[in-house]
Amino acid sequence: MKLSLIGLVFRQVRSSLRHLCWTHLLTSVTVALTLFVFGAFMMLQVNLEQLLSAWGDQIQITAYLGRDVAPAERGALLKRIESLPEVQRVHYTSQTQAWRDFQSALGAQSGLIEGLPHDILPASVELSIKSGYRDSSTIEQLAQRLRTEKEIATVEYPQQWVERLGLIVLAVEWAKWIVGGVLFLATFFIVGNAVKLAIYARRDEVEIMQLVGASQGLIQAPFVLEGMLQGVAGAAASLAALWGVYAVMGEQTELFTALILPIGHLRFLDLERSMLLLATGWLLGAAGSIFSLRRIVKTWRGSDWAA
Amino acid sequence: MRIQLVHVSKTFPPRQRALVDVNLEISNGELVFVCGPSGAGKSTLLKLLFREIDPSDGQILIDGRDVTRLGGRGIARLRRKMGLVFQEFRFLPALSVLDNVALAAQVIGTSKKQSLAKAYKLLKELGLEDRCDAKPFALSGGEQQRAAIARALINDPSLLIADEPTGNIGDEVAGEIVQLFLKIRDRGATVVIATHHRALIQRYGTRMIKLERGFVMDDSPEAIRMPEYTW
Repeated sequence: MKLSLIGLVFRQVRSSLRHLCWTHLLTSVTVALTLFVFGAFMMLQVNLEQLLSAWGDQIQITAYLGRDVAPAERGALLKRIESLPEVQRVHYTSQTQAWRDFQSALGAQSGLIEGLPHDILPASVELSIKSGYRDSSTIEQLAQRLRTEKEIATVEYPQQWVERLGLIVLAVEWAKWIVGGVLFLATFFIVGNAVKLAIYARRDEVEIMQLVGASQGLIQAPFVLEGMLQGVAGAAASLAALWGVYAVMGEQTELFTALILPIGHLRFLDLERSMLLLATGWLLGAAGSIFSLRRIVKTWRGSDWAA
Repeated sequence: MRIQLVHVSKTFPPRQRALVDVNLEISNGELVFVCGPSGAGKSTLLKLLFREIDPSDGQILIDGRDVTRLGGRGIARLRRKMGLVFQEFRFLPALSVLDNVALAAQVIGTSKKQSLAKAYKLLKELGLEDRCDAKPFALSGGEQQRAAIARALINDPSLLIADEPTGNIGDEVAGEIVQLFLKIRDRGATVVIATHHRALIQRYGTRMIKLERGFVMDDSPEAIRMPEYTW
């Protein structure tokens, strides 16, 4: 494209932004409202993933050691367990420490266990699991492996809880793709239609440009640029609105989130997701303009009216 | 530009026949008036020439090339060689008269400075130099007509197509405009004008094609002198 034509495109965009500011504003607001819903879903997903991760951190396998395990054997066992790929962290509790913990757990009632030998409770090893290995079958396999160790007497873990959490993770993963996909399509159609209406309002302009011999590219370029600007402006506005909602919720529901969510506080979209929302606005604005223009230009060129 | 229409028909949905089996030839550098009553098919004929609409049947050859087969790019290229004056003017309301006229030059790649200079020169020739900054709809019908003609002439077209270019102006200005079209013809361009202005056609005595209900009723040299035609 010649430099003079590029200059013409930018002058047309500038003129359109000045003269049709309300049309552009209305389209940007539509983009903002639609992307707000999409962004809110992304934020919900971020917090849900955070919540699931926090719940997953609480999954532990407890391996109780036998009574006559020598310190050297115990040390070797701990090293072997630590080297397992599924294991995130290992915590050893001696018999003495187990007794102390039990006493402090009983609190005022600790007198009830007076007279019992202090080595009545077994030593134990608590294992937390890495996030990629928190499904029930992997945990069961790990438990079986631990049971083969001669130093270990019993292995326990919350099997039902792990199974339920696995189902919840699966449901959230599916919901992410299904709801996210539906929302994305809805966003695409709503933004596309908003852009189309804005372009319809300016069909005379397109028609005149066609009649004076402007190329398709020259006719479309200002509309596509405007669509991009509307998309990015709408996405930025939706991000700002999401931030506002997040700030208000963060203040009002601190106690609520502390009770319900082990993550402690709500999280806002990270930089990557914020950029994704802006890019979605940009892409939707551009694609909406291109698709609408193609259909409109095709319709007009083939239009028939009586002379 | 040489124009040939070969068995051209145009029917609008559902069954409105606007043109029926039209066969015409317009030579390069010829000025032709297309006339007839309202609904005769004059505007349809003109719109077919610049491919705003497609024929239902037949071929339209411009310089030997069938324009009915052109795609989007081909149509754009064809229109860059044409100057079009529309019955309803078709200006961009947000732009000034000067910018509207200059736009037609800018879309084919002429620089902004050159386009504005050319537009101003043409508007001055047509007596609109003091209306350059006005918005098109602030102009009278006659002034808009002249601005539309300026826009049609800015790219030195090989074919000028004008639909009722003297419809909103008095006889004196209409005469001046036809004189201008004659000058353009003398420079080698083909000029096709649809008009109701019978007195004007008779005054200049150029070729006249009479349409009625979509048929070419008369295209003879004598047609112009027939007093019984009423349109």
